[in-house]
Amino acid sequence: MAGTLLELTAEQLTTFAAGEPSWLVARRLDALRRLPELPLVHRKQTPLDTAAFLRQALPVAPTFSADSRPQGVEILDLRAALGRPDDVLERHLGRLLADGATHLEALHLATMAGGILVRVGPGVEVASPLQVSIALGGDALYAPHVLVVLDRGARLDLILELRGEKGAEAALRGAVELVLGEGAALTYTELQLLPGRVERYWPRRAELGRDASLHWILADVGGRLQVSDTRTVLRGPGSEAKVLATFFGGRRQHFDTQHIMVHEGDHTTSDIEARGVLQGKARAVYNANSVIRRNAKGASGWQHEHTLMLSEEARADLIPELEIAEWDVSAGHAASAGPVDPLQIHYLESRGIPPVEARRLIVTGFLASLLADIPLAAVRERITDIFQEKVEL
Amino acid sequence: MARPELIIEGLRVGVEGREIVRGLDLAVRGGEVHAIMGPNGTGKSTMASALMGHPSYEVLGGRATLDGRNLLEMAVDERSRAGLFLAMQYPAEVTGVSNANFLRTALNARRAEDDPMPVMQFHRALKAQMASLQIPDSFAERYVNEGFSGGEKKRNEILQMAVLRPRIAILDEIDSGLDIDAVKLVASGVNQMLSEDLGVLIITHYQRILNYINPTNVHVMMQGRIARSGGPELAEQLEARGYEWLREELGIEEQLTEEA
Repeated sequence: MAGTLLELTAEQLTTFAAGEPSWLVARRLDALRRLPELPLVHRKQTPLDTAAFLRQALPVAPTFSADSRPQGVEILDLRAALGRPDDVLERHLGRLLADGATHLEALHLATMAGGILVRVGPGVEVASPLQVSIALGGDALYAPHVLVVLDRGARLDLILELRGEKGAEAALRGAVELVLGEGAALTYTELQLLPGRVERYWPRRAELGRDASLHWILADVGGRLQVSDTRTVLRGPGSEAKVLATFFGGRRQHFDTQHIMVHEGDHTTSDIEARGVLQGKARAVYNANSVIRRNAKGASGWQHEHTLMLSEEARADLIPELEIAEWDVSAGHAASAGPVDPLQIHYLESRGIPPVEARRLIVTGFLASLLADIPLAAVRERITDIFQEKVEL
Repeated sequence: MARPELIIEGLRVGVEGREIVRGLDLAVRGGEVHAIMGPNGTGKSTMASALMGHPSYEVLGGRATLDGRNLLEMAVDERSRAGLFLAMQYPAEVTGVSNANFLRTALNARRAEDDPMPVMQFHRALKAQMASLQIPDSFAERYVNEGFSGGEKKRNEILQMAVLRPRIAILDEIDSGLDIDAVKLVASGVNQMLSEDLGVLIITHYQRILNYINPTNVHVMMQGRIARSGGPELAEQLEARGYEWLREELGIEEQLTEEA
């Protein structure tokens, strides 16, 4: 699959990166050089050759906006952040993504366009959530980069919303990197509310220091083809990570989701809870893997996934995995798919609720209850409404 | 409105091809409290589930009307809106749906679409109802039956009954698995609601709950039919002597089936 891509010369890329510091230009060029030898990301059940995010060479930057700017958090446009006196960007930008990069990650490292740096200094506990939106414009390819760095002991709730112009045939090929220092705590909420024709490739990476804690809260709702991949490395001893992920597919939407937890430190714990709903001819491919490396003593990694199938034509492939190279651990997984429980429907009907409404309540509650940790009630209510409106009965 | 009236005639119900209820006749009217007792497996719960329209039970014959309307032709939700309530033996758990949201949806299903109950008014009414049943406020925001103890589930059924104000309420083993304090709480909840506008049918295996709710009529069900009917004294007789004497008197062979 290597080399299917776009003709892009070093000269063109250098022009594209005009005005950037030399270390960044050098990294872009390095990623470009490696492209031909890197395999296209391996997605057995999702054909990527024709995906919109692979069609064009040079992306544009989307619009970022911060809906709230709580005290104690720095939020900077990447370009502005490049002018910072310290070396936060040089140290962290692209570092997690480069590790094990496939063709698409390298492509992003070469051509990222626009983005933000969110930074919380040592010991700073940000009291109220930071809300950021990424808005795509019309038909174009966007490649934003989100880098969040929490220094030792910092705490933050971040809510990121992805949306776009209605009807746009846009493509998104971005990335998220979260770096948590010792004892830092982050909840990262992401609402993917892109318009119906958008295709997205979206790797998320995180690295946790000693005793750090990260909760991913994810809602995947919009778009046509959604390929995402969340990889959390529990490097520091005692660090803890959780994925609370929902997806809701309808029509011909295709979600290919992957969650990987890598336990390197001892006494690290991880939990992956995922719930999906599929209706129409939607398709989901779900992979989860808890990797426990040798010497990660006392690690614990658990996975639970359940998908509600609302139509006969929807299809789900659920593939939970464990890779364990240490004896002293606890780990396990469960995955299942099936229709709405007829006894739940009967119970609601027996109180006078019409069948359609009963199903709507059950389906919405099933997804929304996994998002109960979203730190803002208004956001929780909005996503619940979105789920509710999407249910076709 | 006239007094509520549930009339059952010759009802026959099957489950997985086996006939469990075999010709049951019963009439329950507003102001009456009927108790149906009997050994396990005689079809008490099957009858209750079939009247509510449970998908696993098949009505094989007979009639059942509520206030003159044919219950058996109605969809499940219509039966509820017509005034039938079943406090279930094993209430379902519904994650992500709060009790308050559930009850408000159920109440609004009884009103015109363009005239939903104002949210604040609903919450005030619910709070008052919970207080009178000594149910903690936290019930309102908890997910329907999720993580509820056995006793909490039964009290939640009674709360729903209080909010929905049915005309005929069937309480299916509302006392099973409860300690005596919980039985008293459930019974006092039911007693508060008794009036000429409510007919109650209590299905129970034990006489115990009838110490706290006084029945007007007591029936014994055996082999899918009412085998004997009487007043409160019948329950006392059963308590003192068990079911065996009645079997002998009626010439019924021991033939227990599994409780469906």
